[in-house]
Amino acid sequence: MRTYLFVAVVCLLTGAARAASTEADFKTALAAAEAAEQDAGALKNQWIPTEQALAAAKKAAAAGDFDAAVVQAKEAEALAKASIVQAKEQQSAWRAGVIR
Amino acid sequence: MRGAIAQGSALFVAAVLAAVLFANAPASAQALPGQALAFDRSKGNCLTCHDIKGGDSPGNLGPPLSDMKARFPDRKELAAIVFDETKRNPQTVMPPFGRNLILTDGEIEAIVDFLYTR
Amino acid sequence: MRISRASVVVTIAIAALVVAGARPAAAADSIDPAADFKAFRDYYTKRFPNVPLNDFVNGPYSMDAELRKQWEAIDDFPPYDFAVDRGKEMFATPFKNGKSYGDCFPDKGIGIRQNYPYFDLKSGEVITLELALNRCREANGEEPYSYVKDEMASLTAYMAFTSRGKPFDIKIPNDPRALAAYQNGEEYFYARRGQLNFSCASCHVQNPGNHIRTEVLAPALGIVAAMPIYRSEWNGMGTMSRRLVTCNSQVRGVPLKPQDELYRDVEYYLSYMSNGLPISGPGARP
Repeated sequence: MRTYLFVAVVCLLTGAARAASTEADFKTALAAAEAAEQDAGALKNQWIPTEQALAAAKKAAAAGDFDAAVVQAKEAEALAKASIVQAKEQQSAWRAGVIR
Repeated sequence: MRGAIAQGSALFVAAVLAAVLFANAPASAQALPGQALAFDRSKGNCLTCHDIKGGDSPGNLGPPLSDMKARFPDRKELAAIVFDETKRNPQTVMPPFGRNLILTDGEIEAIVDFLYTR
Repeated sequence: MRISRASVVVTIAIAALVVAGARPAAAADSIDPAADFKAFRDYYTKRFPNVPLNDFVNGPYSMDAELRKQWEAIDDFPPYDFAVDRGKEMFATPFKNGKSYGDCFPDKGIGIRQNYPYFDLKSGEVITLELALNRCREANGEEPYSYVKDEMASLTAYMAFTSRGKPFDIKIPNDPRALAAYQNGEEYFYARRGQLNFSCASCHVQNPGNHIRTEVLAPALGIVAAMPIYRSEWNGMGTMSRRLVTCNSQVRGVPLKPQDELYRDVEYYLSYMSNGLPISGPGARP
């Protein structure tokens, strides 16, 4: 019985140490995502899925699920960055489609 | 009696490990079958622009998707088109499903699998 | 090629503005709205040689005979009639201070819709009809209306109705700020946006007459002539602002605030491209 419990606890701890995100992790990830989304806003090119991911991240964090919250915040950052790439490329690329 | 407990422990450990591993997998790990993904408006939404057998009320901004195995024998080429068609055709109206994070790599692969049945 | 003094002045002024870091102006090319206008018009008339020029203002109905039949069938009882009636009533109702909408506009606001948007040289900005209406309200002590709801739709429906058949007459003064606004509108129209990576041109230049699912796409030529529209899909009226906002969200782009500078610029651009075409608003769409 004791071996049984010992092995289970070790597994749980190992698993936990490998993956659990803390509130601090979430705050870092959220800050990065929100900064990127603000930059996208300055370019007037924010995406709806970015806003949805930010909202989902905050909701998960409020519920104490920091693992999910960090995943969502990182997704939001990736989306925001993609929207910035799009806006910057389009600053010159738009001309290629103009009717001449 | 001790043998049975040892076997039980091993199974329990495996179950715990599995639970821990899968609990930390990213949310998109469970991909839907390719057809459902292709027809889902929030995913591939392919019918908006393409006529595909099995779908209703298709749009016609893109070509009909038929004979796909014959037309795209190189699977990588078809996946690349779904990922980012602007690389081939800068003026395309096809969304870059991979580059713009609309679909995951796994979802694109599942859709390619489905398209190969059309 | 003889270069006029005016265009030299304009080019120098634009260059000066670019250096001064003012409102983003053109890159290397100089801005030539008249040339753009001709190229735009020729593109659509060549692509659709069987569509009479004035018919482009009917959007998808100019592209699809089946759809046109359905539209003509409802023409006896146009779904925007209630909006026109309401707009007429609002025009006739004075503000709390005794003034009314007519006092803010030339010709008491009747038969002038085809002149909007215009570039206001004093304030250096594009004035759309919707913006002018809310400024009128605020100047007379009234709260502005939402740009996306029924009151604004009723006012603009009535004003469009009084201009039915009158040709668009949009002016771009020879002023670097006006030319920059025009070009910002052109850029907005052609730039890809949203997670789905569409520009306005993706649908309305590259695919007029084609359909997304069952929805027939309208040509960009004349596309603003029918505004505001009663949209069956919305079960109600849609202002210019509402349409731009929904187009943005349909491509998964976060919409700008209604009457944002860029929205006004793109309306300016599209309206100028429709010069000479008749006001067909208010319109009905599927």
